Amino acid sequence: MVNNLNPGDQSPLETTIGYEQVAVDLTAWLARSEPDPALKQALDFALLEDFDHLYRYANLYELIDGRDAAELTDSLTEIMPGRPTMVEHRHPYDDVRPHYDTHTVDPLSRLHVMTIVAAEQQTMNYYLNHSAEFMEPVARDLYVEISHIEEQHVTHYESLLDPLDSWFKQLVFHKYNEAYLYWSMLQQEAEPRLKRIWELHLDMEIGQLHAACDLLRRYEGVEPEEILPPELPEVPLTFETNKDYVRSVLAEQIDLRADGTEYVPVGELPEDHRYFAFQDVVNDGGAPSELVVDENRAASGREFRDEVEGPHPVAGLRA
Amino acid sequence: MTILVPTKATGATAKTAEMTYVEPDRQVTDDELAAALPDAGLNMAFVADFLSAALTHERCGRHLYRSVAARTNNPVLKRRYEDFGEETERHAEILEELIAGMGGNPSYVSPAARGVEGADTKLVESTSLLGGSLDVMTREMVMLQAVFLAESLDHAHWQTLAKLAERLPDGDLRDRWVRAVGEVGPEEGEHLEWARAAMEKMVMLQAESSAMAAVGAKAEELVEKVRSWFA
Repeated sequence: MVNNLNPGDQSPLETTIGYEQVAVDLTAWLARSEPDPALKQALDFALLEDFDHLYRYANLYELIDGRDAAELTDSLTEIMPGRPTMVEHRHPYDDVRPHYDTHTVDPLSRLHVMTIVAAEQQTMNYYLNHSAEFMEPVARDLYVEISHIEEQHVTHYESLLDPLDSWFKQLVFHKYNEAYLYWSMLQQEAEPRLKRIWELHLDMEIGQLHAACDLLRRYEGVEPEEILPPELPEVPLTFETNKDYVRSVLAEQIDLRADGTEYVPVGELPEDHRYFAFQDVVNDGGAPSELVVDENRAASGREFRDEVEGPHPVAGLRA
Repeated sequence: MTILVPTKATGATAKTAEMTYVEPDRQVTDDELAAALPDAGLNMAFVADFLSAALTHERCGRHLYRSVAARTNNPVLKRRYEDFGEETERHAEILEELIAGMGGNPSYVSPAARGVEGADTKLVESTSLLGGSLDVMTREMVMLQAVFLAESLDHAHWQTLAKLAERLPDGDLRDRWVRAVGEVGPEEGEHLEWARAAMEKMVMLQAESSAMAAVGAKAEELVEKVRSWFA
């Protein structure tokens, strides 16, 4: 039902731009609200990568459709380079993070991680499935390239989850998360028709949560109150503009790369680091994410940006 | 009230590991663990970790007993599971008191405790995830085996705690430790022996009954048969 709220005349690329706007503003809001500094850093790291994806897809939109992505984003999210997609490709060893400890983790942090894993998985699957719906090679290649990064993001975020949690505990946490998300949307929604949908789905998820709790109780002997907090978070997950926050992270973290489980500036990686060898292999022959901007520049006379808060905070990424 | 699952809200703390991250204000180190406990001439950081593991096993045992008590079809087993479950919860409470009385945190979850919880999680899962491939009687045996395995480790933990008590210097700590072992040890022995004997009896009941071997026996008949065990 939720997916069918998208209009029928919305193209896959328009849906994609919507997904990346969601990714940026969801990730930014989660990072701003995240109590755990390590989890916040994980969110900040991938934020700049999804931010760049929005820029690349916006250039594709102008290149092949001649249209303005800012009409879709309503300029609520800026469109400009983030951490360039071509430098985001990294060795798998550098994608896995230390996981939180399920006993000490803040319940809000758990919700944040589960939410972002779901979001990244959705985008990964979408890009993998829709790349073949384009005729233009640069479009097909761009979707494949970015889908690889989204897979990295899924691994990056999913590795934060504690593998100690049993299947039924995971089910209860999952249903609780869904209830939290629908409740959050219900708080924000102004459109009465959509509000009724969120309320209906929230009711359903609460019912499913009860069923999951019954399973946990019966098959693991665990009372749900032992693992769930007594109340939902005070603040609902909120979609709002995050331009200032994104700009601050851009200014401070653009050069970060992953080195095992750590984040380090690219200049601190040794010359023989596996990152560079991986980059050489993946980017051999050129990166579609660079080509799309080059081709749009050649066709449109400029690269597409929607910088509404001033010049890019990183001098080297200014037009 | 006994804490059966430590959480951030109950004051849970943990150590970081290579692939385990703990929020800074919830992290503990070996030095901090040792410093919180009395100097008893032992590696107190290790003792803290071991106590955490033993306590976790009791907590998981409580959960296991609740689960099998809810699912068994045999009234005798159900009563035993319920009774032993309550005693197990009391054992957890005794360990919490022992740890807190020493200056430790009963909500500290050590790496050893995580290991125990991982094993115990799989143990309780084994009693249900294979349900579709097990008949009614085999499910009862699987649940009872899980109890036996859990009680085996539990019994070993308390025997080890008794050994540790002998190494403690005379004083309040040793007295409290000895009292705890004195109260729980015999019950753990009873739990383990009961589980062993019940398993033996369940095997003999089925081995000596030709009706059990009948293929195609209706589920209701099998449930009735299970209900009559130990009567």
